[in-house]
Amino acid sequence: MTSTATAGVRYRRMNLWRLEWLRLVRTPRAVSLAVLFVAIGLLEPVVTKYENTIFAHLGNGVRISSPPPTPADGLNAYVSEVLLVGLILVVVLAAGALTFDASQGRAIFLRTRVASSWQLLAPRAAVTAAAAAVAYLLGTLAAWYETSLLLGSLPAAPMLAGLLCGAVYLGFAVAVTALAASFARSTIATSGIAFMILLILPVLGNVRVLGRWLPSALVNAPVGLVSGAQQLGYYWPALVVAAMASAAALAVATRRLNAREV
Amino acid sequence: MTALSLAVAHGGPLRHLPAVLAPALVPILVLVLGLDVFCLVNLVRAKSVRNAPKLAWAIVILAVSAPIGALLYLFFGMNRGDRAATAASVAAADPAPPIAPVVLTGRTPAGTPLIVTTSGLTKDYGGNGLFSVDLAVPRGSVYGLVGLNGAGKTTLLSILSATRRPTAGSVNVAVDRRRVAVCPDVPDFDGWLTAREVVDLACVLIAPDLGEVAVSAALRTAGLADAADRRVGAFSRGMVQRLGLACALVGDPELLILDEPTSALDPVGRADMLDLVASLRGQRTVIFSSHILADVQRVADHVGILRDGRLVYQGTARDLIDTYLSPRWLIRIAGDAAPVAAAMARAGWVTSVASAGPDVIRVDAISMEAGERGIPAVLAACGARQVSCEPDAADLESAFLALTGPGRS
Repeated sequence: MTSTATAGVRYRRMNLWRLEWLRLVRTPRAVSLAVLFVAIGLLEPVVTKYENTIFAHLGNGVRISSPPPTPADGLNAYVSEVLLVGLILVVVLAAGALTFDASQGRAIFLRTRVASSWQLLAPRAAVTAAAAAVAYLLGTLAAWYETSLLLGSLPAAPMLAGLLCGAVYLGFAVAVTALAASFARSTIATSGIAFMILLILPVLGNVRVLGRWLPSALVNAPVGLVSGAQQLGYYWPALVVAAMASAAALAVATRRLNAREV
Repeated sequence: MTALSLAVAHGGPLRHLPAVLAPALVPILVLVLGLDVFCLVNLVRAKSVRNAPKLAWAIVILAVSAPIGALLYLFFGMNRGDRAATAASVAAADPAPPIAPVVLTGRTPAGTPLIVTTSGLTKDYGGNGLFSVDLAVPRGSVYGLVGLNGAGKTTLLSILSATRRPTAGSVNVAVDRRRVAVCPDVPDFDGWLTAREVVDLACVLIAPDLGEVAVSAALRTAGLADAADRRVGAFSRGMVQRLGLACALVGDPELLILDEPTSALDPVGRADMLDLVASLRGQRTVIFSSHILADVQRVADHVGILRDGRLVYQGTARDLIDTYLSPRWLIRIAGDAAPVAAAMARAGWVTSVASAGPDVIRVDAISMEAGERGIPAVLAACGARQVSCEPDAADLESAFLALTGPGRS
């Protein structure tokens, strides 16, 4: 990337990757992702630790007693929350970036200047997925810290493996959103289609034969790995399928977007 | 009938469900059946469908388990072109491959090199759109495309810009696609970018070798030098339109396609834009659409008139005015106009004479030539002192109305 001086100010030349970086930092995207994931990471282990106490104060005399929480419970609370609320945010932000046909004026500006929609799709999907992965990393680190502090230490290797699984799943969610953007033009419709696909997968995952192979299996991977219920090898099929399905979703999206009229 | 429909019609599986589940299932059934009904109604009303005949889609919707059949129709059968036509919106997805414009070089009919030609160009939105348009745009000209709302101007420009595909016919653009710049009627940019960044992005994508000097020059030409480092989100619509023009100019294009370039500009901005377009004549080819005929008359040397998707006139603006000009003149006389009117009425080539004011008469002739020859002779014979003599309504608007007004087919 080259840079020149303009009126005494260093000016960096634009390109489609820098455009996405500026989209992250000049809009609330980066901040909202980081704040949400970290907040969940910080709060959930605390809520888990004091669950019994909270229920005792809110229960109007009714006592709900549950066994003392384990470190895996703290992580489980974080993962459950972040892959629901966090996933919603990631999909909406990805849809906002990937629906470049939502405005005809913007679509004409971009599409008449690139040879293929892939040039537009790749940086948008990659930067959004990377931002989501970084936010997930920060949130996981926060949850790890709080859990270690309140509930006990978590094993490092399974934590890192779980982090990998979660990040791959978020990348898959972004790719699914890209595919959805090739079926709809508006951000809302794209988000809706992406959610529909992402919500159908766990339902299909209830079929015993399919469960291990679907990307949705990665959602619970961090807890499964940390609790020792599963080894990383158990999730390899889902990891491979998620990666391949992401590539396929992006390829199909590119083909459909190339064929779309503005 | 789908399995789900049968279940509802005969109360089959529902009879065995606990009573509490029935209220929960009814909305789902209504949703699913509603989708089926919507698809069937759409199928019946559609002029055409994709991938299979209408009968086949009807069978798919009815026979394949609900709502899968309906969803298959929505994604793969429903013709987006029909929907675009009825909703007056842009066309949606089509699985055909991207447009690969045929490049024509050196074709020179009648000695005039053409930069854009179309042959039988048709874009059918179920009865609306474009039909058999044979466009011929001379290289270096300013070509004004005029027509009423819905005449097909934007559709034609979109096909020339390769953002839409024709239903039939061909488009020949005798220039590298990277040297074609397009500015839509409502340009839109990310509001958190500065004007300089937007134009720089356009420059990098089209002509990466051009440096920041080209970016600054384009901003200056568009009148945005002072606002170069301001965020686009704070721009007025006129400024955004200027920014769209800067983006179009920055790549040093050979062909500029401008859709309604003056629609959002104030009078000063409009004059600046028209001056800019006029100044490009000879250096670049400009195709621009407008419904402001005065703008087209001011800067265009060639004109195409679209009416209901058909090109009803194509040629020089001067020829158009001459062809459709009524043989009618307004003659202002110094002194009494009555003797002149009487003399005109006696002339054999005059069809009518009327007073158009205290010292003005309106003369209708059998032809332009007869009037041009006869009026000076009658005025001389009367010894009248002529103040002015001008064709009545000798402008593009008159010609346009003559071509597109009621009664024309």
